[in-house]
Amino acid sequence: MSIFVKLASFFKINLFNKIVNFLIIIGAIIKREFIITYRNFFNILTIVIFFILGIFIFVFATGPDIKEYKEIIIGIIWTLLLFSSAISIDKFYQDDFNDGSIIVFYISSISLEFYVIIKIIISWFFWQLPFFIVIPIISLFLDINIIKLKLLLLSFLIGSPILTMLSSISSSMNLLNDKNTVIGNLIVIILSIPVIIFGVGIINASPEIINPQLNILLGILLLFIAITPWISASCIKIGLRNS
Amino acid sequence: MFKTFFNPGSFEKLASKLNLPILILSCVSMITGLIIIFYFSPDDYQQGSTVKIMYIHVPAAYISLMTFAIMAIYSIISLAFKMPFGFIINKALAPIGAVFTLICIVSGSLWGKPMWGTWWVWDARLTSVFILFITYILVILIRQSFTNIEIGEKISAVFVILGSINLPIIKFSVDWWNTLHQPASISKLSSPSIDITMLIPLLIMTVAFMSITLNIALISIRYEIINRKRQI
Repeated sequence: MSIFVKLASFFKINLFNKIVNFLIIIGAIIKREFIITYRNFFNILTIVIFFILGIFIFVFATGPDIKEYKEIIIGIIWTLLLFSSAISIDKFYQDDFNDGSIIVFYISSISLEFYVIIKIIISWFFWQLPFFIVIPIISLFLDINIIKLKLLLLSFLIGSPILTMLSSISSSMNLLNDKNTVIGNLIVIILSIPVIIFGVGIINASPEIINPQLNILLGILLLFIAITPWISASCIKIGLRNS
Repeated sequence: MFKTFFNPGSFEKLASKLNLPILILSCVSMITGLIIIFYFSPDDYQQGSTVKIMYIHVPAAYISLMTFAIMAIYSIISLAFKMPFGFIINKALAPIGAVFTLICIVSGSLWGKPMWGTWWVWDARLTSVFILFITYILVILIRQSFTNIEIGEKISAVFVILGSINLPIIKFSVDWWNTLHQPASISKLSSPSIDITMLIPLLIMTVAFMSITLNIALISIRYEIINRKRQI
């Protein structure tokens, strides 16, 4: 980064300077988020263990005969994935809001929407990627065949960014919520109904209607990419102006 | 004209004038509607007398959708142009919408038990209406879970806009999927698939339900406006 600064001061070009400033700020934010999330790595481990424990509790509750629930096991896995991203919403903006670093981002030269996008990408990287390692291991326990496993990973690859963005929306809504903190999880769950329908539908559908359902899920993903930064940023601004 | 619906002062004047005529209209149309339903309207040749549940079920369903649409429009306008009047509308209309959605669900399942054989089917129309009911409850809960009421109103308005994605899904679910719930009876205005002896009481009951809703909404909006004026 310092090489860019030297180059910019050498050429003395205004636009170039602005772009370099922009890149430096983004780099600093990304570095900061990485350090914070890396130091709180046990949080991610807790969520992953919540997912595994959920599967185990389900098996204890229904009995050890796997063949009986072969049809519904994909739905169970998707439900637990949804729950594990719904209970991790507190980690999104709450700490930054409480220690005042969101105000610093707000008055810096980048917009709050861009901060939200960076935050979503990093949260997806840390909170959803571990499940791509855990799901194949779990599928060995539950006797899911390789074709279904591939489709499950594909649908989760498209669906997990949507879950992260829903967590972002819900977390930014509940920044100043001090009476009823469970309502954030309910917002994630009620908005994620189409994701669950099409995410599970891809795996249980007959082969000729897999592609249309995949397209619908991709459409939902694009819709949420379009609207999430604006909604989250405006909710954060509502919180900042009233705190 | 347009300004009347966004200015609390002039809306309150209009509401105090409209209150009594709408109350009279709702009483008259409700009584005539009920008399026509129970003494003049014929029974269905398949459903028997259970068809009379429809005269409650269909207007309640209309109102549950229409209330949410009005709430969504007012939320967008009040968030975009920073008019707090939309939040008053949201606060007044959300409980009314929740109650009418509950009436719709309960009357539908009372009809479904003798006709379909079950209280509840996991059908596209039924499930999406139930999600609408939960959305109404969440709108009320979100506003009350903040100590600062201004933020709660704004956040619940954002949630109303997000939840309004559900409205077209409910409206067109009977056309998009093969559901057990029958398609709309009087949407085709040129040739409705309902007999004229059943259409007239249905329309009268719709008018009655709408005027009752309007009456309760006007009273609670006026209460809210006067209450806020006193606080300032």
